[in-house]
Amino acid sequence: MARRAEPPDGGWGWMVVLAAFFQSALVFGVLRSFGVFFVEFVAAFEEQAARVSWITSIGIAVQQFGSPVGSALSTKFGPRPVVMAGAILASLGMLLASFATSLTHLYLSIGLLSGCGWALTFTPTLACLSRYFSRRRSLAMGLALTGVGLSSFAFAPLFQWLLSHYGWRGALLLVSAFSLHLVACGALLRPLSLTEDSAMGGPGAQLAFLLCHGPFLRYTVALTLINTGYFIPYVHLVAHLQDLGWDPLPAAFLLSVTAISDLTGRVVSGWLGDAVPWPVARLLTLWTALTGVSLALFPVAQAPTALVTLAVAYGFTSGALTPVAFSVLPDLVGNGRIYCGLGLVQMVESIGGLLGAPLSGYLRDVTGNYTASFVVAGAFLLAGSGVLITLPHFCSSSTSKSQDLVIEALDTKIPLPKEGLGED
Amino acid sequence: MGGRAQFWVGLGCGESVSREQGRAAGPLLLRLFSRVASLELASGAGPPASMRRDSRHRHWFAEGPALVRTAADSPTTMRTFPCLRGPPARPPLPLVLLCFLAAARTSLADGHPPALTFTSLPAQEEMLAKYSNISLESHNISLTEHSDVPVEKNITLQRPSNIELTCQFTTSGDVHSVNVTWKKGDEQLENNYLINATGSILYTRYMFTIINSEQMGSYSCFFQEEKEQRGTFNFKVPELHGKNKPLITYVGDSTVLICKCEECFPLNWTWYSSNESVQVPLDVQMKDKYVISGKHANETRLKIMHLSEEDQGSYWCHAIFQLGESEDHVELVVLSYLVPLKPFLAIAAEVVLLVTIILLCEMYFQKKKHTDDGKEFEQIEQLKSDDSNGIENNASRHRKNESAGQ
Repeated sequence: MARRAEPPDGGWGWMVVLAAFFQSALVFGVLRSFGVFFVEFVAAFEEQAARVSWITSIGIAVQQFGSPVGSALSTKFGPRPVVMAGAILASLGMLLASFATSLTHLYLSIGLLSGCGWALTFTPTLACLSRYFSRRRSLAMGLALTGVGLSSFAFAPLFQWLLSHYGWRGALLLVSAFSLHLVACGALLRPLSLTEDSAMGGPGAQLAFLLCHGPFLRYTVALTLINTGYFIPYVHLVAHLQDLGWDPLPAAFLLSVTAISDLTGRVVSGWLGDAVPWPVARLLTLWTALTGVSLALFPVAQAPTALVTLAVAYGFTSGALTPVAFSVLPDLVGNGRIYCGLGLVQMVESIGGLLGAPLSGYLRDVTGNYTASFVVAGAFLLAGSGVLITLPHFCSSSTSKSQDLVIEALDTKIPLPKEGLGED
Repeated sequence: MGGRAQFWVGLGCGESVSREQGRAAGPLLLRLFSRVASLELASGAGPPASMRRDSRHRHWFAEGPALVRTAADSPTTMRTFPCLRGPPARPPLPLVLLCFLAAARTSLADGHPPALTFTSLPAQEEMLAKYSNISLESHNISLTEHSDVPVEKNITLQRPSNIELTCQFTTSGDVHSVNVTWKKGDEQLENNYLINATGSILYTRYMFTIINSEQMGSYSCFFQEEKEQRGTFNFKVPELHGKNKPLITYVGDSTVLICKCEECFPLNWTWYSSNESVQVPLDVQMKDKYVISGKHANETRLKIMHLSEEDQGSYWCHAIFQLGESEDHVELVVLSYLVPLKPFLAIAAEVVLLVTIILLCEMYFQKKKHTDDGKEFEQIEQLKSDDSNGIENNASRHRKNESAGQ
């Protein structure tokens, strides 16, 4: 396969977008819709709801902490074998879970085994996707990440139907079968060699570079802060609405509206990120600041119209920041180091995610309502956007940062490989 | 309202007597042993002293003046009769008879013959003082003459209680022309209820005690004017909530069936299984198959272990109260593992097919690209060799020309 100087920006890249779409649907869509199983588990194992919700918490934690491992393996072997192996692991975890006789069983099979499988699939796929695109990267990311939103819509009623026909054991068996499609997604990830790859070295060298790279560290800190505040409304919005006196049905409807605006935000932001000649980091700062502001305004809004407007604004801006967040990374560290970089970022930002929900719960318990937790979430997001301003090239209007990095790498390290035909 | 007086009789122990002047002093039916107090009010007067005295006993009296039903103008004298507090032993009936005969005769002798028509009270042992420590439940229904639909009130009862039902009827017409009756189901109750009228509102109150399941049911008050208006009190034992959807389990699994009711304390819970219509009690002696437990009094859990396909069907839970029984059912479905396995294998086969197609396509396109590249390579080599041949030919021609030119 010929080494390319530039990412192809199309062609097979659109198949990779498709693969990433289904993959984010099958990983995060399943995790988000897993709540329908909780009622069944509580009844079947006679456990409390709090203990049952640890299943998805462990799964998400393992997925995020294991991201560097997936990234390192993809750097060495390419994304395809790693993702296919991870897919088989994830599906196996669900299969074993259908035979569970206790809650610990489920912690180990879904939480640990499937979590490891997801760690090996999610990050390498997104990293591979960003290697295939440069000019249309944000759009490709946005389209791929809509998989999460759409699948939450589709999977919740589907899982309910499965539960009512096959019970929870049969339903887990069939979810395992659905997860096997991750193997097909992995098969679509054709390896791509870029000219800068050989200059970047193995996983160890990349790790050393990244840990000393100032902009990368600042970016990681910013994303951690963003992650701390990002998930809070998803967890607490319904409870906050009920505190204000809303009925469950209108509250659920408002959540659906938020989800739809989240979806729209992802696609629009993806398109905007490519169409506008600004550095992507500026857009990320903009969306993050807007999300922070809309969150902080939540406690102030009392009237239903104000709440609906704020919820739509929050959904749009929070969806808008996700594809852009992933697009900034290749510009910072170069496409050759994207696997390792993304893995590290995921691992560190998971700390924010793990801290965010309990912190806001604690604030709620101490103050008695959700005002403090929403304001604190907004503050975290604004702090994250503040850190982002310190990133390099923020104030300049150059967009050829990745090329600068490639030239820099090539000049200092290995001479250019000979131009050949059909070199693999 | 001059000259009108209130005639009513309040009775303790659930009795009421309506007294109407103008009715002939018919024979007095006596089957009672409780206190009777009759009083007449001058118009607008408050409750008389005797009434206030009597109110220390556990009886109620309508407050306030009301319209009398008689046409009598002259006020009648007050009469109070001592009320015998539920005697520990039944008083000898002839003595009571004598008492009242004396009272009646006195009234007649006074020249004011308001006949006391005592309606009968069933002589129930339940009216004894030993039930004075059970709770009292009061319920009201309001009706107007314009009510289109009969008004119903559902009341949940688990323990024996004293019951006090009040119906009030607002009418613009004449309160006296309204006929008031009480019925239990379809059967008319005897006139041991109270009727009172204030302004344009008519009150009627019925008091009784519920001890066992025979006294549960529907009690209705009827107001007959031109149209009949009806208010119904439905007494039921608490209902159970099982699961609406069938419970799906697999062979060899174990499951828990739960029945619960809100704020209830049944005396006992029992479980039955049924296949079509016959309910068969479960063999609770099989300790390795069925375990019945319950964390709180208002729920019961049946754990069935080592499920097999014969355990499929409906399971009924019965809650037994003092005042009746209520039941609910849960469906159990037992599937074998082959049922979800077939779709699983189908989907797995489809995934294998997809992956094979993708990888084969890629290999095919790579080979094609290689052969294309190979052809290109050959062509370029050909051109190179042609070029070099061409140059050599030119050189040889040059030499030829040169040699030829010399």
